[in-house]
Amino acid sequence: MSAYRHRPERSDVNTTTPPRPVIGTPHRPYRRGVENAILGGVCGGLAIRLGVRERTVRVLFSLTALVAGLGLLLYVVLWLCLPRADESEAIAQRLLGPRRQLRRVLVGLVAIIVLGLLLQALGAPSLGAFTLPIWLSLVGAVGVWRGASPDERRHLEELAKSTPLAGVPGKRSKRSFYLRVILGAILVFAGLRILRHFGGAWYVASPALVGTLILLAGVAVGLAPWWLTTLSDLSGERRERVRVEERANVAAHLHDSVLQTLTLIERAAGDAEAVTRLARNQERELRAWLFDPAHASSPEQARTYVAQLREMEAQVENDWGVKVELVTVGDLELNDNIAALVAAGREAAINAAQWSGAPTVSIYAEVEPVAVSLFVRDQGRGFDVDAVPADRRGIELSIRQRVEQHGGRVTIKSSPGKGTEVELFLPRTP
Amino acid sequence: MGQPRVFLVDDHELIRAGIRSELAGSVEIVGEADEVAAAAEMILERTPDVVLLDVHMPDGGGVAVLRALNGRCPEVRVLALSVSDAAEDVIAVIRAGARGYVTKNISGPDLLDAIYRVAAGDAVFSPRLAGFVLDAFSLEGTHLEAADVDPDLDLLTPRERQVLRLIARGYSYRDVATELAISPKTVESHVSSVLRKLQLSNRHQLSNWASERHLF
Repeated sequence: MSAYRHRPERSDVNTTTPPRPVIGTPHRPYRRGVENAILGGVCGGLAIRLGVRERTVRVLFSLTALVAGLGLLLYVVLWLCLPRADESEAIAQRLLGPRRQLRRVLVGLVAIIVLGLLLQALGAPSLGAFTLPIWLSLVGAVGVWRGASPDERRHLEELAKSTPLAGVPGKRSKRSFYLRVILGAILVFAGLRILRHFGGAWYVASPALVGTLILLAGVAVGLAPWWLTTLSDLSGERRERVRVEERANVAAHLHDSVLQTLTLIERAAGDAEAVTRLARNQERELRAWLFDPAHASSPEQARTYVAQLREMEAQVENDWGVKVELVTVGDLELNDNIAALVAAGREAAINAAQWSGAPTVSIYAEVEPVAVSLFVRDQGRGFDVDAVPADRRGIELSIRQRVEQHGGRVTIKSSPGKGTEVELFLPRTP
Repeated sequence: MGQPRVFLVDDHELIRAGIRSELAGSVEIVGEADEVAAAAEMILERTPDVVLLDVHMPDGGGVAVLRALNGRCPEVRVLALSVSDAAEDVIAVIRAGARGYVTKNISGPDLLDAIYRVAAGDAVFSPRLAGFVLDAFSLEGTHLEAADVDPDLDLLTPRERQVLRLIARGYSYRDVATELAISPKTVESHVSSVLRKLQLSNRHQLSNWASERHLF
C-alpha cells in the first residue's frame, strides 16, 4: 500500500481515496471527505477510512458530543489537523505555515488602532467594550485567511474587493470613491458629534434621532455603490443564465429532432420514400417550433380546430406519403361538433391520399362568425359521383354521416380526370 | 413574349444551382448574387424582367434588397422565394414591393409558371398567402376605427374574398375562373388589386407583421 502513503505534492492531485465509503473496505489514509461532507468532512472522511456508513459515524460523533462536548472538541481538532482529500495541507499546517501575510496583518492592526483612537477622540462610550470584539474578529479574520486553501483565498479576495471602503476601486471610479469616502466620513463624524452631545439624554431624543439618521445616511453613501454593484451583478448573472438556458434549449431541440432525423436519413439513403417522409416530418416539426412556439411547446394544450388539423396533416403525410398543404383562416376552441368535422375531414384526406394518385392534398379551413368550413381537395384522377363503386361508397357515407349528425352538410364534387373536392360545412352554434 | 430574363438572389450556392437547373432552357438567367449590396447594384445595372429573391439572407435579406432598389426600376418585378412561410416574412416582403411569394419546395413547372405570371405583371399568390390575406383582412377583430377605414385599401370586396378563398383551397387561376364563371384575366385583376391593398393598407395586423420583421 505504498501508493497510499505517498503524499501528493500538488493540492489538486489525490484520487486514490474513494469519494464515498466502500462499505466493508477500509481506505487509507484518513482524510476529510469532500463529496460526502456536511460540515467539515470529518465524519465523511472517517466513514471512508473505516468503510462504514457516514450516518453511523455521525450518530456516534453526536453521542460523544453529549459527553461534555468531547465529540465536538475532537471534531474541531480533527478538522484542523486533517488535510482534505483533495488537498495536501491541513488547515493547522497552513495556519502555522510561512508568514507570508505578515504585512497584511500589520496593516490591519494599524487600521484597528487608528479606528480605536478615532473612536476615543470622539468620546464613544466604553472603548473597552468595543476593542475586545474587534480584536477577536481580527484574530478570526487572520485565522480564516491563513487557514484558507489557495482556492478559498481567491474567493476571499474577490469578496474583499467588493466590500466597501476596503475594496480596491476601479480606475475609472477612483474619484467617486474618494468623494464617497470623504462625504461618508463627514456624515458619520457629524452624526457621532450630535449623538455624543445629546446621547443618553432622553428628553432631547429628536436631535439624537437626527444624528442617527445622518449617521445612517453616511453609512448608506459608503455602502450604496457596493450594494448596487451586487444587485446588478445578480441581475446580470440572471440574464446570462437565461441566455445559457435558451441556448441549451435550442441545442437540445436541434439534437433531439434535427440531428436524429439527419442520422435516420443517412441510414435510409437508399429508400427515397422514407427519406422524403423523414424530411417532410422534420420540416413540419422545425417549422412549428420556429414559427409557432406556442403550439410546439404545449401540444397537449392546443385543443383547437387548427391544432387538430395540424395533427391530421402530420398523420396523413406520415401514413400515406403525400404532401398535405394546409391553409387555415381563423381558429376556435374544440368541441364535439368540431371534432366530428375534423374526423370527417381526416377520412376525406386519407381517401384522397389513397385513391386519387395525386401527390398533394390541399386542405383549407376557415372559421367565420356563423360557420366553420373545411375543404379537402386533390387534383388526382377523380370519379363519377353518381357511379361510385360500393367499396368507396362506405367512406363517403361515413364522412357524410359524421358531419350531418352534428347539423352540418357535405358536398362532394368530382369528375373523372378533374380531381375531387370534399366540402364540409358546419354552422356555429353559440 | 420571349423568354423572361431572370436574376437570382440567394446566399446558398446549392439553392441557386437547383433553380438554375430547373429553369434551364425556359428562361434566360442574366445574373446571380449572393448578398444584398451586390444584388441591388447588379439588378439596377442589368434590369431583368424578374428577380427571384431569397427572403432570408444576412444583412437584412430580401426586404433590404427591395429597399435598396427603392422603386428605381419599376419594370423589374420581384418574386420572393423562401423556405419559410411565416406570416411576418410573407407580408413584409410583399409590402416592400414583391409581386409574389413562393416557397422553395415549389415544383419546377409551378415556379416557371409563377415567373411567367410575374413577368406579365400579375401577382402570384400561393394558397398560404391567400390564407394570410383572408386572415389579415378578416371582418372580425378589425383594429381600425371606422373613420380610419379606407374602403379602397382596407377592405376586400366580396368578389376578391371569393377569389382568395378558392386560391387558398388550392385552385389554380384557371380553375378559379371556371368556378366563378369569369375570365382568367378578371381573376388576375382581382388578385393584383388584393396585392395593392396588401401593400398599401394601414391595417393593424399588416403593419404589425411588417414591423416585427424589422427585428430580424
